Amino acid sequence: MRVEYINPFVESAYNVLKEVLSVEIVRGELYLKSTSMPVLGVAAIIGLAGDVEGRVLFDMSKVTAIQIASAMLQSMEMEPIEELNDMGKATITELANMITGQAVTKLHNLGFKFDLTPPAIFTGDNMEIADTGVEALIVPMDLPFGKIEINVAIRERN
Amino acid sequence: MSNTSEAVDRTQGGEQIREAKQRLGGLHQHQLQEQDDIETVDYKMVTFSLGGKDYGIDILKIKEIAKFAAFTYVPNAPPFVSGVYNLRGDIISIIDLRVMFNLPAQRKAEGSPEDGLILRLDELMIGVVVDSIDKVVGIVSSRIQPPHPIFGDVNIKYISGVVEKDGRLYIILDVDRIFAKDESAPDEPEPLTAAVASKDSGLSPYQESPEVPTSQGAAGKNEEELDLDFIREGLVTFKGFYPDEVSSTWLHRRYPEWRAERKQLGTEVQLTGEEDAEEFLRTFYSPYSGRFWGEDYVEGVKALLPEEMPKNISVWNPGCGKGYETYSLATVLRMRYPDHILKIWAGDKDLLNISTAPNLVFGADIIPTLYEPYLVEAKNGFAFSSQIKDAILFEYHDVANTNAVPNVDIIMARDLISFLPPKQQALVLNEFSDKTSSGALLILGQNEYVSETLGWQHVGSAIVNAYRKL
Repeated sequence: MRVEYINPFVESAYNVLKEVLSVEIVRGELYLKSTSMPVLGVAAIIGLAGDVEGRVLFDMSKVTAIQIASAMLQSMEMEPIEELNDMGKATITELANMITGQAVTKLHNLGFKFDLTPPAIFTGDNMEIADTGVEALIVPMDLPFGKIEINVAIRERN
Repeated sequence: MSNTSEAVDRTQGGEQIREAKQRLGGLHQHQLQEQDDIETVDYKMVTFSLGGKDYGIDILKIKEIAKFAAFTYVPNAPPFVSGVYNLRGDIISIIDLRVMFNLPAQRKAEGSPEDGLILRLDELMIGVVVDSIDKVVGIVSSRIQPPHPIFGDVNIKYISGVVEKDGRLYIILDVDRIFAKDESAPDEPEPLTAAVASKDSGLSPYQESPEVPTSQGAAGKNEEELDLDFIREGLVTFKGFYPDEVSSTWLHRRYPEWRAERKQLGTEVQLTGEEDAEEFLRTFYSPYSGRFWGEDYVEGVKALLPEEMPKNISVWNPGCGKGYETYSLATVLRMRYPDHILKIWAGDKDLLNISTAPNLVFGADIIPTLYEPYLVEAKNGFAFSSQIKDAILFEYHDVANTNAVPNVDIIMARDLISFLPPKQQALVLNEFSDKTSSGALLILGQNEYVSETLGWQHVGSAIVNAYRKL
C-alpha cells in the first residue's frame, strides 16, 4: 500500500475513536497481511474507488461492538443497547463512516482522490475474509471495550 | 417507337459488342500479368496504427470497422476497458489497445468518435479502440515472419507474426491470445518448480555448489560441512539470512575467508551472536547499500540499459529500504531516457524506513555531484525534484504478499531475496519471471546469483550484478 495512505487512516481512526468515545486508546503495531483472516464477529466494510480501488474493514467482537455503540449513544443522551439491534448496527456503521470519511478528507488534501461506497455491516460467528490480489494493512486499536482491527486494503489503479 | 429504337440499338450493338470484347480481352491480358501476385494472396488483414506503428488483425476475426462515441463507463473495470457500447442493441465491451499495451494514445477532441474495430472471437464480440484505421491489406501468408523482440511495444506472446508489404512493416496481433482467459499461466517458468523440488528432496545447495573446496580429505570436508551448517543456521537465526537459492555460491566463497579471519583472531569459526553474523555478512552487502550510488555504480547501471526502451518505462524495486537506491535508479533512468515516461514501484516491509522514503531530505555532503541537476533545496537540506519524485511510488509492502505491480521492464532487488525463507525465495523469483517479458533487466545484489535455468542470462559487470531475461 502506498506509504502516503497509511497515516491518514491511522490518525483519523485514533482521533475519531478518541473523540466520540472519550476513552484512552492504544495503537498497536501496524502490519501487513494478504492471506485470509478470521473476522471477530462484527465487521463494517466501506469500499473505496477513484485513483485507487480497495476497501476498509472495521473488525471487532460483538461484545465490543455493543459497548462501543452504547457509549456512542449515551454520549448523545440516548439509551444504551443490550444487544446488537438495528440501532447498534447503524451506530457502528456510522463510526466506520466517520473514520473513513475523515481519512479520505485528509487524503484529498494531499491530492489523492478517493470515493466512498455506502458502508455495510456483517455479523456472525466464524467468519473469514479473503482478499486475493491485494495486501491489507492492519491497524490494531486497543480500547477499554476490547480491540478494533482496522483492515485497509487499497491498491493503485494502473 | 420501340421498333426504331431497337433498330438503332442493333446497329450500335455491333460496335458495343466489339468494344466490350476488346475491353474484356485487355482485362484478360492484364489479369494474366498480375496473376502471379494476386493468386497467392491468401491472408487479408485490417491494418491500423497504434502509437505510430502499423498493426494488423486477421480479417476473418473482424466483424466490422466502427467509430465509437459515448461509451458507458464501467466502474471498477480494468483501466484498459474503456466501457461498454451499444451496437445496434448488442452490448459489447470496448477495450483500448493503447492502454492495454501501455502505448501513448493520440488525444482526440472531447466527444469526437474513436476509431475502432469490432472483433468476433468465437461467441464473444469485443470492440477495440485504436489510433486510426488504415486499410485492408492482402498478403501472402508464407511471407509472415515470426515475431521478434525488437518490435516489442506489445508483449511478444500477443504477436502472431510480422509482415512487410509495400515497404511498410505490419505487426499482426493474435487477438485470440490477447482476449483469451488465463493466457499467462503457461508462461510460468517450469525450471523453478524443478529447483524447488530438488530442494525439497533434500539436496542441499551445498552439495550442488561447485565451489566447495575439494582439496582436503573426507574428514576435513565433514568438519567443514558441519561448520557451514552451523554458520547457515546462525545466519538464519541472527540475521534472517537464508543462504540458499541465490547466495549459496557466496557462502562457499566467504567461508574459507572467514575461517582464516577467525583463526587469525584466535576466535571460534561459529557465529555466536548477531555481531558475528553481521561481521560474516560484511562482504555480502552490495555497494552503496543505504547510500546514494557513486559515479562508478551509476555508470555501471547505465551501461546495462538498452538503447531501445518502451515509451513508458516501468520499474519494480522491492526491498527499497529508505529509498536511496530507488532515487539513484530513478536519476540514472532520467539521465539515460530524458523523454520517456518513468514509473517506479518501490516497496519495503520496514514501516519506519519506507515512511521516510517519499519525503527523503539529506545533506549536500552525502550526495555525489552528478545528482545535482535533479535536486531542489528543502527545509533542512536537499530533496529530489518533482521530475524524479513523481516517477516513484513508495509502498508499504511485503514482497511475500500479493502485489498490484504491473508488468515491468526493470526489476531491482538488491540483497532482498537472500533475506527471505527458501519457499518465498522461489515464489519471488517466480514472480519476477511473471512480471517481465523477454529482454527485461534484473539487478540483483552483488553476491546473489540466479541460475540460467530460470530464464535469466547474466549480463552484469564487475560493478553491477545483473541479468537479462531470455
